[in-house]
Amino acid sequence: MWGQIKQALAQSTARFLTRFADLLPGLAALIVALVLSIIVAFILAVIVRRLLTSLQFEQRLSRWGFSSMADWSPMNSPTLLVSRSIAFLVILTGFLIGIAAFDAQWTSLFAQSIFAYIPRIVGAVLVLMVGGVIARFLGRSVLIGAVNMNLQYARLLSVGVKWLVIVLAVAMALDHLRIAAGIVELAFGILFGGIVLALSLAVGLGSKDLVTKSLERDARRSANEQYEDPLRHL
Amino acid sequence: METDSILKQDQENKQEIGNADLVVGILGEFEPDGVAAVCDALRTVSGSPRIAILHDGPAPNVSNSAAPEGSASLFFVPSPLATPEAPGGSLLSVMAAYQSVFVASEKLGARGCCVIASQIEAPPLQWVRQLAEPLLDRDVDLVVPHYARHKFEGLLNGSIISPFVRSLYGKRIYNPMGPDLGISRRLFSKMLGAELRAGGGGIHPLASLAPMAACSNLEVCEVHVGARVYPPTDWMNISSLLARVLDPVFVDMERNAPCWQRIRGSVPVTAIGEPIFVSQDTGSVDIQRMVESFQLGNRELQEIWSLVLPPATLFELRKLLRLPPEQFHMDDALWVRIVYDFALAHRLRTISRDHLLKSMTPLYLGWAASYAREIQTAGALALVQRLERLALAYESGKPYLVSRWRWPDRFSP
Repeated sequence: MWGQIKQALAQSTARFLTRFADLLPGLAALIVALVLSIIVAFILAVIVRRLLTSLQFEQRLSRWGFSSMADWSPMNSPTLLVSRSIAFLVILTGFLIGIAAFDAQWTSLFAQSIFAYIPRIVGAVLVLMVGGVIARFLGRSVLIGAVNMNLQYARLLSVGVKWLVIVLAVAMALDHLRIAAGIVELAFGILFGGIVLALSLAVGLGSKDLVTKSLERDARRSANEQYEDPLRHL
Repeated sequence: METDSILKQDQENKQEIGNADLVVGILGEFEPDGVAAVCDALRTVSGSPRIAILHDGPAPNVSNSAAPEGSASLFFVPSPLATPEAPGGSLLSVMAAYQSVFVASEKLGARGCCVIASQIEAPPLQWVRQLAEPLLDRDVDLVVPHYARHKFEGLLNGSIISPFVRSLYGKRIYNPMGPDLGISRRLFSKMLGAELRAGGGGIHPLASLAPMAACSNLEVCEVHVGARVYPPTDWMNISSLLARVLDPVFVDMERNAPCWQRIRGSVPVTAIGEPIFVSQDTGSVDIQRMVESFQLGNRELQEIWSLVLPPATLFELRKLLRLPPEQFHMDDALWVRIVYDFALAHRLRTISRDHLLKSMTPLYLGWAASYAREIQTAGALALVQRLERLALAYESGKPYLVSRWRWPDRFSP
């Protein structure tokens, strides 16, 4: 009886040690792949950063109309954004190579599902980027237009429009990624409606003064019909 | 495309019409009586030239047989193009209307062409003749009007366009964008050639004429005419007006950069006629409204202005926030640096050009308020002196523009 127990224990220990020993090369390979990819990522990031700096990438970007990229970049530097993105991609690739060393079948399935998801991620990132650019452009248009129309709540309108577009872009991106589609739709509806309602209320309440002022001005003018602004611009 | 249709039509009609010495485009909204008065004025042009008149509306009954012997002979050529509102009106219609006059002049082999686009307070007899004669008699290439000024009129021209063109191209032209102009064959052929090379875009017939004449060393002269009747101010569309007018001026500045960077100082151009002074009793201006617009812009547009203006300028502008309307004053040197910085940002495309120019509106209104407050009680002579001071400020600020233009990266706001 005791012998059988000892034998079973020895067998299970041997099995565990064998399995563990099987895993060790994979684990070592993962660690090596990660370390190597981190080193390569670091070197690549430095090279890319220097290259972009020498090409005056940030100035060129703002000349091409992508100045809003800075807002979305770490430390307001699109150069850092690009170099860090490249470094992240290299590390991710190293990680996938390391994972593949464990179990070819499982990792190939894992890699397949990740690669199948990449187009969605790229699509979502594009939607976010375009949304960001449009949000900034429209926000700026509204701000300038409202200031030129002498609207005291110009900033509020501009921020409202900007966030409407950003919320729309984020909802579209999440929907594209198929992340909690139902919740996203609901949350988007609530947020979008909330922003529109808040803007309407703010503008409506704010325009009370505007209408009063405008009526007062009209009343002043009708009282003094002789008045005509002699300013002529062109 | 509209120019092409003009070309075709002109070719078809040329056989019947023959050649003309001068082509006159009447582009303003004239009543038949007004057109008839312009025709009477044109008859008095010396040398008995054949004058073709391009006009959209109904032509008055002008009979050459009834005209005194030795006077110019006139004939009408219908223009298929829309009448432009003003230099700041629909850009395409203004460009197309002026282009149509140039093309018709080229086709009719004219020695020059004139454009009559304004209502002038004085009768047209003298000034229309003065606009046309230098082209035929004196071989002048560009005849520009020097309108008599009411102090609060033509502010955009007085505060930016005229002193800006003067400092860049070194010619003291008071109304470089007309809109009433006389243009020689040499100049309009150059314009048509440049338009062809630019592929139908980028050459604005009004903004490009004076710079092209100055850079090509062509003869420019000014004619003193009465006060122009300006359309009333549309306060809701000032920013669009500013963008439409300044964009071609700044585009042209970029095109002519090698030319204007060599020029220092300015020289007067030949003047024809005596300066006309008009009453400066024009009523009061609502300065408060303009100061409020400036202050709102100063509070809300800092984020955009900081992409265009250097910190020292932004600091100066913030100091103006504290001034009440009755003490409001924007220094000429500050205003000049602002205009030059916006011109540079336009070239560098720091932000969308439309945004850039429209965001300049509160600054322009701020300068207009300061100017209006300063000259509220000024007479005609003081007005001339005030504008001369501004023009000199533009000239003294030019080295700043040249250095920033050549080395924009040395300073990035």
